[in-house]
Amino acid sequence: MKTNISLLIAIIFISTSAMAQKYITKNGSINFFSSTPVENIEALNNQVNAALDTETGDFVFKVLIKSFKFEKALMQEHFNENYMESHKFPNAMFVGKVENQVDIDFSKPGKYQAKIKGRLTIHGVTRDISESGTFEVENDAIQGTSKFMVKVADYDIRIPKTVVNNIAEEIEVTVNVKLMPL
Amino acid sequence: MKNWKKLLIAIIILGAVGAWAGYTFIYNKAHTNFEKAEPDFSLQAVTLFNDFRMDAQTAGQKYNGKVLEISGKLSGIEENDSLVIGVFAYDEGLFGPEGVRVTMLKNHAKKLLAYPKHKAITLKGFCPGYNGTDVIIESGSIVK
Repeated sequence: MKTNISLLIAIIFISTSAMAQKYITKNGSINFFSSTPVENIEALNNQVNAALDTETGDFVFKVLIKSFKFEKALMQEHFNENYMESHKFPNAMFVGKVENQVDIDFSKPGKYQAKIKGRLTIHGVTRDISESGTFEVENDAIQGTSKFMVKVADYDIRIPKTVVNNIAEEIEVTVNVKLMPL
Repeated sequence: MKNWKKLLIAIIILGAVGAWAGYTFIYNKAHTNFEKAEPDFSLQAVTLFNDFRMDAQTAGQKYNGKVLEISGKLSGIEENDSLVIGVFAYDEGLFGPEGVRVTMLKNHAKKLLAYPKHKAITLKGFCPGYNGTDVIIESGSIVK
């Protein structure tokens, strides 16, 4: 009986996967920018795994925290060891959906506004988010971009008092993924 | 009185040297040169991949943040915008080939592009971890 149920789930999964059109990248980029009167801090990660299912609107991305690159080595060290504790929480992840997926014609080249809703996990804390972005459908790819703000306190990221003036309470996050058909 | 002046000058000089050293060697210290760094581990690429697949947490504690020297036969070389990535693929998942992906340093990218496919190679770089599909190596260089 157990085997039959597993087989049924596998058949449903495989047939659903075959019908759906998936677009992926393993080298998307996420950039974050912190601006304060004391200093601006910027970091870039271009090892982002992302996938979009144009049939269901499912959209996910996953990123390794240690892959964020800073201009200054000391900032990178503090970011990993003190703030993000990347040894404990090595990944950040978003799992969600394109809410207005029916308004977007992924088969027709053009630029479309997207409403994206889902759960963002950073530093081991998961929160519901709802943001806007764009999907630019090209002949052989879909370019997805989104810019949104993240409050560091929402994700239990503690900034020491000595550098509290150097790091913004809200960080601007920019996601840029060029998704190719799987 | 003269001694006080000498002491004051010495304190000022020491302070200036300390501030310069702090700025240069702490605040502005250079990023690690992974091309010249000694590897923490040398192993086959397939062993690295299997270690993460079997137990990502234990493997992460061992390899994350370390300099790794990995050997194997490349399955492919990808060019993505300005990045050149050496791919050791060992499995096929829902998101395509899965294995070890090595993003090369700029000065090693061209050499890798010219490297014969399926020939054994040893690469070295920094391991930020495993993202659920691939083990990632960055700042990669060709060892041999």
